[in-house]
Amino acid sequence: MSGERDVIVHLDKITKRFGKTVAVDRLDMQIMAGEFVTFLGPSGCGKSTTLRMLGGFETPDEGRIVLDGTDVTRLPPNRRDVNMVFQDYALFPHMTVGQNVAFGLELKGKGRSEIDRRTGELLEFLQLGGFEERTPDQLSGGQRQRVALARALAPDPKLLLLDEPLGALDAKLRAQVQVELKDIQKRTGKTFFFVTHDQDEALTMSDRIVVMNAGRVEQAGTPEDLYFRPVSRFVAEFIGETNLLEGKVRGSDADAIVIDWNGVELRGSAHGHRPEPGENVMAALRLENVACHPDKPAAANAVQGRIVSRLFKGSRTALDIRVGERDDAVIKAYVDAAKAQGLPQDHLWISWDIERLTLLKDSA
Amino acid sequence: MTRHTRILMSVIYGAFVVYLFVPLVLMVLMGFKDSKFIGFPITSWTMDWYLGVFQDTEVLTVFAYSMTIAVSSTLLSLAIGTWIAAFLGPNRFRGKLIVFALTCLPAVIPGIISAISLRIFARLLDIEPGMLAIILGHTVHNVPFVALVVMARLSTQPKSHVEAARDLGADSVVAFFRVTLPYLKPALIGAGIFCMLLSFDDFVRAFFLGGYQPTLPVLIFAMLRSGMSPEINAISTIVLILTAVLGLWAERSMRRLNKGA
Repeated sequence: MSGERDVIVHLDKITKRFGKTVAVDRLDMQIMAGEFVTFLGPSGCGKSTTLRMLGGFETPDEGRIVLDGTDVTRLPPNRRDVNMVFQDYALFPHMTVGQNVAFGLELKGKGRSEIDRRTGELLEFLQLGGFEERTPDQLSGGQRQRVALARALAPDPKLLLLDEPLGALDAKLRAQVQVELKDIQKRTGKTFFFVTHDQDEALTMSDRIVVMNAGRVEQAGTPEDLYFRPVSRFVAEFIGETNLLEGKVRGSDADAIVIDWNGVELRGSAHGHRPEPGENVMAALRLENVACHPDKPAAANAVQGRIVSRLFKGSRTALDIRVGERDDAVIKAYVDAAKAQGLPQDHLWISWDIERLTLLKDSA
Repeated sequence: MTRHTRILMSVIYGAFVVYLFVPLVLMVLMGFKDSKFIGFPITSWTMDWYLGVFQDTEVLTVFAYSMTIAVSSTLLSLAIGTWIAAFLGPNRFRGKLIVFALTCLPAVIPGIISAISLRIFARLLDIEPGMLAIILGHTVHNVPFVALVVMARLSTQPKSHVEAARDLGADSVVAFFRVTLPYLKPALIGAGIFCMLLSFDDFVRAFFLGGYQPTLPVLIFAMLRSGMSPEINAISTIVLILTAVLGLWAERSMRRLNKGA
């Protein structure tokens, strides 16, 4: 795989309704070969329905699903080159690990020697060598998850679906498996379609994140895009911790837009929006993008304030900083815990990179 | 609970156990009595009655006949009951409750009613009284038990198991035989043994639907009418031991089933 990536999946304006609720609403999206794409959103946002439509377990009411040039919209699960890692792993309890992994290969009509070779290779690759004869109930949660992965990879699918496969693991193991999963994806070159409600998982592993809300795509982009340049309040709030600043546009100059927020002038980036002066807007500023200084910094977009609350959180301290006159004009900030101790209580300065204070599209 | 009530409870329970087991013990004892007359005192003991059972070709033939009926009706019941459970379990449709109630009905209809109606029905279908009629009669009675047990087991199978099989290339038939059926195995064993016992034990249906060849309970009944003989005790004891062993095994596998193993 080199150079330009090919489109492996095209979701062509698919819509799925359950009764009166629209689970997925005219979703239009392309997935590139070898991409690790994550559908992120709260439960009921349509991410799992999308995954199930790709797997063949639901049929879209409208639109087409094209897999590697073939329309598979109405094909049953057993006739698509797509395999799935289920949330509960769904390992067959009456089969050994080896038989589980071999299942898909047998149904593809492969010969015994090829099945054995491929099963052995995959188990070795996923550090499950020597586990062939065990049954699923003799494995730990992490091992079961890897068996489920091996079983889904065995038939060499064009697309691998992963339905919140880390949900059942404890927090420590989950962090480790995130790294492993990304590594496996890179080494196999497979296209991963990952579904989760956990922003950490999404940010750690994905090449691209698609944030869904109420059946629609809120924003799609690289983890950095979504984190630093959220386009909507939903995305800003769903990923990371954010100051949401509602104010009026006062004007704009060459590289910044100026917002009047509770009587304080804040400077930020419009990111392509062209709001008129006087318009009501909303902007987002990440807590860790707020820099605190004991003295007035050189930056133009610095404002003075005073600390109204400090919360020690170990490596960092959460500060509530009141700027301006009004009580509710509070900006939250994360500061390095050691640095926070040296900050004056009453007259400190805060500043931020103009690019980091971003205007949201669903302003007002 | 006070000391007195506890003693009282133990006495009542003891009395119940005595009431339950004394007839069985008497029956077993009389089978070893070296005399044609049943009753005390027992002056000498013998194994002759048991040896007689194993040499009595009529008894052996009837035993084989009853076993054939039990095994055939059980296999039929398992096939039909599992099919009904697989159909009723996952599907939602209008009138499901009615279909379910109809399925259960044969299990609660009084034996004599069901036997008479089956006799009439069999004649209508030109089925001669005999083995086939009894097998069909027992199957009708047993299917509800299979369906209920299998449905209970089926409801504990995660939906994802079948989906995973479909995902890996199995059509719905292959998925059923390779994933669902193995999952149902403990339920099928338990229900199967239960059906065998019901069929083997049945008198009323076998009596009404049978031809000249009697089943074991019908034979014992006929022997009783020509006078109590210790040979009957010997036959009954053998049946008692066989069914107790099978029944306990079934109970055990049902209990494992409920634990979800």
